[in-house]
Amino acid sequence: MGARTAVVNPQPALAIKLGKLELAFPTLMGSGCYGSGEEFAPFADLSKIGAIVLKSVTRLPRLGNPTPRLVHTPAGMLNAIGLQNPGIEWYLERELHKYAGRPCKIVGSVAGFEIDDYAYVCERLAARDEIEAIELNVSCPNVAREGETFGCDPDLTARVVEAARATTNKTLIVKLSPNVTDIVAIARQAENSGADALAVINTVRGMAIDVETWRPRLGNINGGLSGPAIRPIAVLAVYEIAQAVSIPIVGQGGIETLADALEFFLAGATAISIGTANFTDPRIPERLVAELQAYLTRRNIASIQEIVGQAHVEIATPHQYEGDEG
Amino acid sequence: MIGMAMLDLHPRVAATTILERRELADGVVLLTLHAPELANATQPGQYLMVIPPSGEAAATALAVYEAEGKRVSILFFVTGKRTRELATLACGDRLDVLGPLGNGFDCSGDTRDVAIVAGGVGIASVWLCARELLRRGAHVRLFYGARTAELLVDAQRFADAGCELVLATDDGTRGERGFVTDTLVRSQRPELIYACGPSPMLRRVGEIASGFGVRAQLSLEETFGCGVGGCWGCVVPLSNASAQAPSFPPAERGGSDVVYARICKEGPVFWAHELRW
Repeated sequence: MGARTAVVNPQPALAIKLGKLELAFPTLMGSGCYGSGEEFAPFADLSKIGAIVLKSVTRLPRLGNPTPRLVHTPAGMLNAIGLQNPGIEWYLERELHKYAGRPCKIVGSVAGFEIDDYAYVCERLAARDEIEAIELNVSCPNVAREGETFGCDPDLTARVVEAARATTNKTLIVKLSPNVTDIVAIARQAENSGADALAVINTVRGMAIDVETWRPRLGNINGGLSGPAIRPIAVLAVYEIAQAVSIPIVGQGGIETLADALEFFLAGATAISIGTANFTDPRIPERLVAELQAYLTRRNIASIQEIVGQAHVEIATPHQYEGDEG
Repeated sequence: MIGMAMLDLHPRVAATTILERRELADGVVLLTLHAPELANATQPGQYLMVIPPSGEAAATALAVYEAEGKRVSILFFVTGKRTRELATLACGDRLDVLGPLGNGFDCSGDTRDVAIVAGGVGIASVWLCARELLRRGAHVRLFYGARTAELLVDAQRFADAGCELVLATDDGTRGERGFVTDTLVRSQRPELIYACGPSPMLRRVGEIASGFGVRAQLSLEETFGCGVGGCWGCVVPLSNASAQAPSFPPAERGGSDVVYARICKEGPVFWAHELRW
């Protein structure tokens, strides 16, 4: 025992890399859930999180969707904010200064309606020192027009990523929609087109109806479901994509506890993103980092990277049912 | 506070302990919390985000009803899963909250004759406002409505403090039968109106204030997401010229004359004449 205590492990490493983006902790705060960070600063220690992904910004100002924009549902919530933002010019002029000097990394988020929008906004945003990486939101389900078109089509995804890639050398994270037939095919296209990392998954389309008024409960009619309700959908998407691509994955969808976070790492995520759980308790991200640290120490694991994808197995007997081979 | 949107009120996470639990009516619960760091800092009309002890749902926005000494209290109607969980708490239990939050009522003027309009659980937002206005020597008329007599909770408390009461119930079991706004519109014109209650009531208060030619401060309710300004889920259309409007380009720069403001951050109290709902 005496000999062993002399070589006690230092704290296990939680540091990870997404392309060129180096994070002290493998935790990102989900786009649209965490404002600019300043809203949460009184309640959370921003030096204990990896990065904040800012709310998406578009080329032109967007008023956002009519109200109500939120509905609480079992084990989650539906939102339809509609990309409310002041547009890239105003944003650069009036908002971006807030992000300088944050004690964590800042990832800008870009949304658009034309391929050229993505390239334009990505270039303007990535040129700023306050922004260390860019997330491409090709999958917002809450805008009336072709909002989700890009993320639902492998070829359009490829064209958006290529266009954005041409504008910057900073890390590009592509956020994928689960509202597709084959998310793995889109993930492959994003990788082949120059993405440095993938965010998996955005919200799942859904709606809720008020049975008193007989009307949809969201002003936008449909919205995006988040929270623990979508976690199994997200874990599977990460699991399958991790086997198909070699770039890192930011796993997200209803992560609240240590066990939730571990599921995503074991499924193949290099980092995790926390969104709706901040609405329950803004101390959750900091708690998760401490619990991950303790978990790795307890299991004598030197780095979080060692557990990434460890749940991957082959099905033992692929042809277990008579006739399947036929 | 209203109109001084970015006033720093130093909100924080506060670990409180429940000192008292009272059921004021069937399904109406008053929890008194030991929270010295909140009691001194809370302004009339501010609220707390109450973290669910189970961690199994989003936090709940509840107005600070009373703040005195080292105590704050919250008053709520049990309407769903989250308030049902809070109703099961007992003395000695711990309750973590974020607060105080939001821009509340401005009680700072020297208005002599004010009307406060409260509908249902909206009463919880106006006690501190009434107390401050009375302290400043104003004559305060409380127009207070609820579904039925039993739900006009704590009306006597406002009367004892010096408010003139005008009561209304949907079923006529106490006060006038009908909407509390029907009593307001027939009353003598006040100099200023404060109100909290359901949105249809607040819209009507805004119309009545306009008819009287007076200003009104409305405390709005909406489903909250984060409750601290991060998600833009709880919004209301507001004049872009309002001092409370969030940063957004004006129409001449490609923006708009009307913007969505966050009820949790820029509000919850807005000037009725600046709302565009």
